[in-house]
Amino acid sequence: MASQDDEFTMLFQDFYPSLCRFLECLLGGRAPLAQDLAQESFLQLHRTAWGTLPPGEARFWLYRVARNMAINEFRKSHTRYRLFDRVVEAMRPAARNPEQEYETRERKELVLEMLQTLPEDQRTALLLREQEQLSYREIGQVLNVSESKVKVDIFRARAALRERWSKKVRVASAGVS
Amino acid sequence: MNCGFTEKISSLIDGELSAVEAREVERHLLSCAQCEEARADFLNLRSQISGFEASLPGEVQNRALAKILSKPAASGARHQWSWNWGYGAVAFASIAIVALIIGLSFYQRPPEEVASKSPVPMASPTATPTPEPESPKPETPPSKESQPQPKPRRTAPVREPKPGEQFATVPRNVQPVVPETTRPADTQTMTALHFERAETLLRAFRNVRLNEPSAAAEVRYERSRAKQLIYQNMMLRREADTSGDVQIASLLDSLEPILLDIANLPDEPDNDTVRVIRERVERKNIVALLQVNSTALARALD
Repeated sequence: MASQDDEFTMLFQDFYPSLCRFLECLLGGRAPLAQDLAQESFLQLHRTAWGTLPPGEARFWLYRVARNMAINEFRKSHTRYRLFDRVVEAMRPAARNPEQEYETRERKELVLEMLQTLPEDQRTALLLREQEQLSYREIGQVLNVSESKVKVDIFRARAALRERWSKKVRVASAGVS
Repeated sequence: MNCGFTEKISSLIDGELSAVEAREVERHLLSCAQCEEARADFLNLRSQISGFEASLPGEVQNRALAKILSKPAASGARHQWSWNWGYGAVAFASIAIVALIIGLSFYQRPPEEVASKSPVPMASPTATPTPEPESPKPETPPSKESQPQPKPRRTAPVREPKPGEQFATVPRNVQPVVPETTRPADTQTMTALHFERAETLLRAFRNVRLNEPSAAAEVRYERSRAKQLIYQNMMLRREADTSGDVQIASLLDSLEPILLDIANLPDEPDNDTVRVIRERVERKNIVALLQVNSTALARALD
């Protein structure tokens, strides 16, 4: 049987990237901060809850803690972090394929920009559904809300994004013509 | 502007409707262009959001793990271990005191009474104060002694993500002792098998002759097969949506309402109901598509 640390390592390897992505989208693209918070969430798990959670619960626990940390970050001043993150982003080495990198960045920025227009609870529910493929029941478990609220939040998020998306497309096509 | 079904479309694409509701919505979709458009838009949003790649250099992940594991771990199990030492010490002290009292009481009794009772109580104090007899942790001194070759503590390989690699988005079972049944490498095999089964089912369904006496039993069989396939269809469709495999996702998407219709057939369906489903199968040319795709997937696997 694998030791506690082996099991923890496996969980970390599986979910750290997902948690970083979730946090990055939640925080509006602040990747370094997302990585720090993901690390902090795992650290808390390792120090306090690991070994006491029922099997399969650790993942939900991580999303819950990470989301709370992100909410704390929202309450702090945004500007300082955003500026810092942009500097870090700018200092990164250039990509091998600049064209591809440009497209990816454009797409990422568009997704992030649209997600930022949603209220936090809708954004979190939608991210957990679309990226992490959690069911409504599981999302309710992470966010500590009912399944029906999750259903409504996800629908509202989709409807709002759909509307904004079509507006964007209309504006873009008007610009072309 | 929005039709009353739009909210249900959202639940439909999440696989959160009951079979009956899903069937109702799928039927509605056939006649409502607005809802069909909403579904396409929602699926498009899904692919945009799920295709988001985190900015995560490989070294960051490994550094984070090393940092976490290097901290003095106070995990639940280790907490328990140190607590148990505390409890063990208290237990040991209590037992020692009790033993002392018993010993004193024996000391004060007449010698013949002590001789008849001494073997039972005198053995207990040395045997009881083990801090955590059931603990399997290799760090504890007792288990180290009992295991001549202790396991190394960190043996799981630290995976280096390749540059630009998109990490798997399919949630994996957290419990490592449970073998995984749906690894990405197996998905193609599962999809190919699923297509084959669905194709067989649809061919059989096409050939059911309703006027014959065995028709009811046949329909019951097809219905149960369809029920078995629906869940897998939903899982595979989600998987294909996530991995951006548009062709497979779209085929699975077309297959789903048909499976739902068959699964929801009554015990003795009328000719019209069956005819509608068959026409739908024919119109979508789904049997041929299933055949072509299952063959293509099987070839790719070879």
